[in-house]
Amino acid sequence: MIETELHDLSDDADYAASQQQGSQSITRSDSGRRSEPEGAEVVYMKDNVSIHPTQYMSERISGRLKLIKQGDSLFLTWIPYKGQNTNTRLSERGDSDRNNLYTIRPLPLTDVRSIRRHTPPLGWQYIIVVLASGLAFPPLYFYNGGVKEFLTTIKQHVSLVRSADDANVFIVNDFQDPLQKTLSSLELPGVVSVAAQSTNASLVASSSQVNQGRSDVSSYDSNTGSQSLRRQKNKSNDPTKDLSIQVLEKFSLVTKFARETTSQLFGENSGDPFLSNEWKRPSHSQSLPDLQSQPSTNDLEEVPCEVPVPADPMEFEKLALVWGKPRQPPMTKEEWITFLDSEGRVVDSNDLRKRIFYGGVVHELRKEVWPFLLGCYDYNSTYAEREYLRSVRKQDYEIIKLQWQSISPEQAKRFTKFRERKGLIEKDVVRTDRAFSFYDGDDNPNVNVLHDILLTYSFYNFDLGYCQGMSDFLSPLLFVMEDEFEAFWCFAALLERVGPNFNRDQSGMHAQLFALSKLVELSDSPLHNYFKQQDCLNYFFCFRWILIQFKREMRYEETMRLWEVLWTHYPSEHLHLYVCVAILKRYRNKIIGEQMDFDTLLKFINELSGQIDLDSIVRDAEALCICAGETGEACIPPGTPPSLPIENGLVSSQLEDEVL
Amino acid sequence: MSYAYLFKYIIIGDTGVGKSCLLLQFTDKRFQPVHDLTIGVEFGARMITIDNKPIKLQIWDTAGQESFRSITRSYYRGAAGALLVYDITRRETFNHLASWLEDARQHANANMTIMLIGNKCDLAHRRAVSTEEGEQFAKEHGLIFMECSAKTAQNVEEAFIKTAATIYKKIQDGVFDVSNESYGIKVGYGGIQGNATGRDASTSQSGACCG
Repeated sequence: MIETELHDLSDDADYAASQQQGSQSITRSDSGRRSEPEGAEVVYMKDNVSIHPTQYMSERISGRLKLIKQGDSLFLTWIPYKGQNTNTRLSERGDSDRNNLYTIRPLPLTDVRSIRRHTPPLGWQYIIVVLASGLAFPPLYFYNGGVKEFLTTIKQHVSLVRSADDANVFIVNDFQDPLQKTLSSLELPGVVSVAAQSTNASLVASSSQVNQGRSDVSSYDSNTGSQSLRRQKNKSNDPTKDLSIQVLEKFSLVTKFARETTSQLFGENSGDPFLSNEWKRPSHSQSLPDLQSQPSTNDLEEVPCEVPVPADPMEFEKLALVWGKPRQPPMTKEEWITFLDSEGRVVDSNDLRKRIFYGGVVHELRKEVWPFLLGCYDYNSTYAEREYLRSVRKQDYEIIKLQWQSISPEQAKRFTKFRERKGLIEKDVVRTDRAFSFYDGDDNPNVNVLHDILLTYSFYNFDLGYCQGMSDFLSPLLFVMEDEFEAFWCFAALLERVGPNFNRDQSGMHAQLFALSKLVELSDSPLHNYFKQQDCLNYFFCFRWILIQFKREMRYEETMRLWEVLWTHYPSEHLHLYVCVAILKRYRNKIIGEQMDFDTLLKFINELSGQIDLDSIVRDAEALCICAGETGEACIPPGTPPSLPIENGLVSSQLEDEVL
Repeated sequence: MSYAYLFKYIIIGDTGVGKSCLLLQFTDKRFQPVHDLTIGVEFGARMITIDNKPIKLQIWDTAGQESFRSITRSYYRGAAGALLVYDITRRETFNHLASWLEDARQHANANMTIMLIGNKCDLAHRRAVSTEEGEQFAKEHGLIFMECSAKTAQNVEEAFIKTAATIYKKIQDGVFDVSNESYGIKVGYGGIQGNATGRDASTSQSGACCG
C-alpha cells in the first residue's frame, strides 16, 4: 500500500509557481521518489486542488493531487492538507474526520471509468472522476490550473479516449478484460455501464437510472429538429449528464461514509443531515435517494419512535449537503445580448433557458426576458416583429378593457355576475402585497391597475373568471412589466399554464397534489408511508405552495427568482412539484420524528414560510427531477398544470375544463 | 407554555367578512385593515383563562372563497369550536350561512360548538342584516350569536371566550371524551384528567405564537 505523507506547500509561492510550468515541472519524479515506496514514481503533482464539501464556495478543503506510477499501473491520490480547512464553520466539528472522508487513497486508474472536465466561464476548472462502479468522487477544483497537464499525464500512461458524445468526457479505457473492453466501446456514452458487476444492488439501481436518463438524451439528440413537438420532454442534453454524475458524486460520498466513518462519528453528528445521508437501500430499486434519510437504517416501514431530530432547522439547512449543479449569478444584460442575433432573435432558446434556469436574470432584464419565458413572444421573433406585436396587443387590451368599462350602472344592476366579480376583485387588490413598496399606501395607483387587469382578464377568460390567488400571480408581473397592457398579456400567458389552479372544481390543484403524492412515493417511500399512516395523502398541506407557486413562502425578490427559474421549464415543466418534494424531504426527519399529524403538519408547513433557502432547494429539486427521470414524469398525468396544450403554446386556446 | 386544555377553533365564512381581522384582533389586539388575503389557512393562538384554568386556543383562519371549499373542508376535522362569520353590511354573506353550516355539520365533529358572528357592527349606517335576523338564524340552528367589530374590538374577546366557555362546560358535562383528540381538545400538563396528563403539546405545538 502506498502511504503518502503530507508536506503542506500550499503557502509556498515559489513552489506553487513551479507547479504552473506545465507537465515537465510537474513530473517531479525526483522529489516523488523520496516519499513513495520503492518502485513508485510521482508523475504528476498539483497543489491547491480542492473540493467544496457544501454549497458554500468558502468552505473548501484543499489538498494535493498526485498521479503515481508503480510498475505498469497508474494510481491517483488526493490528500487534503492537515489542519487546513478554509474558512469553514465546520472546523470545530473535527475536520480531520471530515477531511479524511474525502481523501482519495491510491486509486488504480483501472478502476476509473471516465474523467469529466468542466471549464466554467467563471471560476475554476474542475474534474469529476467517475469510477467503473458508477460512483464518482466530488469535483476536484484546480485552483492553480493544471487540468490539461493532468489529462496529458494520464494519457502518457493509460489509454484515454475522448468521448464521441462529449468532448469534455475522457474515457479511461484500460480494461484487462477484453469482453469488458468491447462492452465499454459499445456503450461509450454511458459512464457507468460496467457497474452491473457490482454486488451492491443500489449501485445497479443508480446506474440504471443514469442509463435511463441517457437513452432519453440520445432520443432527444436525434430529434433536435422537432424540438417544439417535444415540449413535454424538456429533458435536455447537458444537465442530465452533469447531474447524473453529480448525483453519483453524492452517492460516492455516502458510500465512503459507510466505509470510512466510524460509529463514533455518527454518534457525534447524529444531527448532521450530511451524515444521515444515504443512497438507496437495496430493497428499493425504484426509490430515489433520501436527501435526509437515516444512517444505515433499514426501511422505515415502522416509524422509529426516536428519530434523531435536527436541533435547529436553520442550522440544519446550512449544513445540508446540497445536490444538483451549483447555482450561478443571475444573467446580466451583457450575457443576454449574446443570446440575440442582429435582428433580435434568440438564437438558441434551449441555451438561454438553461442559463436562466441556473441563475435567473438580473432584475433590470426581467421586463425584457419574462415575456419570452412566458410564451408571450416567440424566441424566433425579431425586434421589429415584437414591436408590431406590442402595438397590436396594446389595442387588443384596450378593446377588452372597454367591454367592462362600458357597463353602465344601470346595466350593472342587472348583471349580478359582473358585480360579484368586480366586488371580489376590489376587495382582493387592496389585500395584495400592500406591505411591498410598489403597492403600499392609500390610493396607490398600482393597486387600481391590478384591479383593472384582473377585471379585464375575467372578461378575456370569462369561463375562468376571477379567483383568489390570481392577484398574487399578477402582482410581480405588474411590478416587473410596469405597463398595464404588457402585464396583462404576461398574466394571460402565465394563466395558460397555471389557470387550472383556479378551476372552480379544483381539478387542476387536485391533479398536481396527486402527482406530488406519486413523486413522494417514488422518491421517499417511508415518508409516503408515513403520510399514508397519518391520513395525509391528500397533500392539502402543500396547497398554498402549489396554488401560487411559493409566492407566500418567500420574499418578493426570491419569488421572482424562483418563478423565472420554473418558467424556463428547463429540466421539467413540473419542477415546482420537485421543489415540493425537495422541501418535504429536507424536513422529513422532523416530520416523522415528531410524529406530526395532519394539523400539526399543516401548521408546520405554513410556518416554513420565509425559511426556505431558494438556491439549495432548487438544486435538490433539480437533482430529484433528474434522478426520477422518465419514472418521475410518468408519475405526472398528462395535462397536469402547468403543461401547455400540445397544439399551441400561445394565449389563444380555450381551456378545456370549462367551469361556470 | 402549559395549559389545561388546548381547543382547536376554525373561523369560516365568506371571503372579506373579516375572519383574519377577527383573529388578529383577538391574538394581537390590533386592527390591520391592510393585510394579505388568506390563501389556504393561517394560524393564530392565544391563552385564555376559564374557571382559573389556562386554556390555549389554536385558531385556524380559513380562506373564504367558494372555490377553495373542497380544500378548507379538510381543516374542519377535529375542531372543537367554529366561528361562523358574516358581514352585517353585505346581505349575501348572511344568505350563504346555511351552506357554511351544512359544510360544518357534514365535515366537523357533531359536538363542535359554533358561534355565529355578525362582524363589522361598527358600520351600523351600512347595515344590511338586522341583529334580530342574526339572532333568529342562530336560534334556529342552535348556535351562539354575537355581533362584533374587529375594527373597534367590540365583542371580539367575548366571542372567542364565550365559545371556549361553552366547550369547557361540555367537557365538564362529560359530552367529550377528552382523551380522544378528534374532538379538537387536547389535555395539557395542567389538566385534570389524570390519565391524560403529561400529554403536553410542547413538542407538537412548538413554535406556536402564544399571543
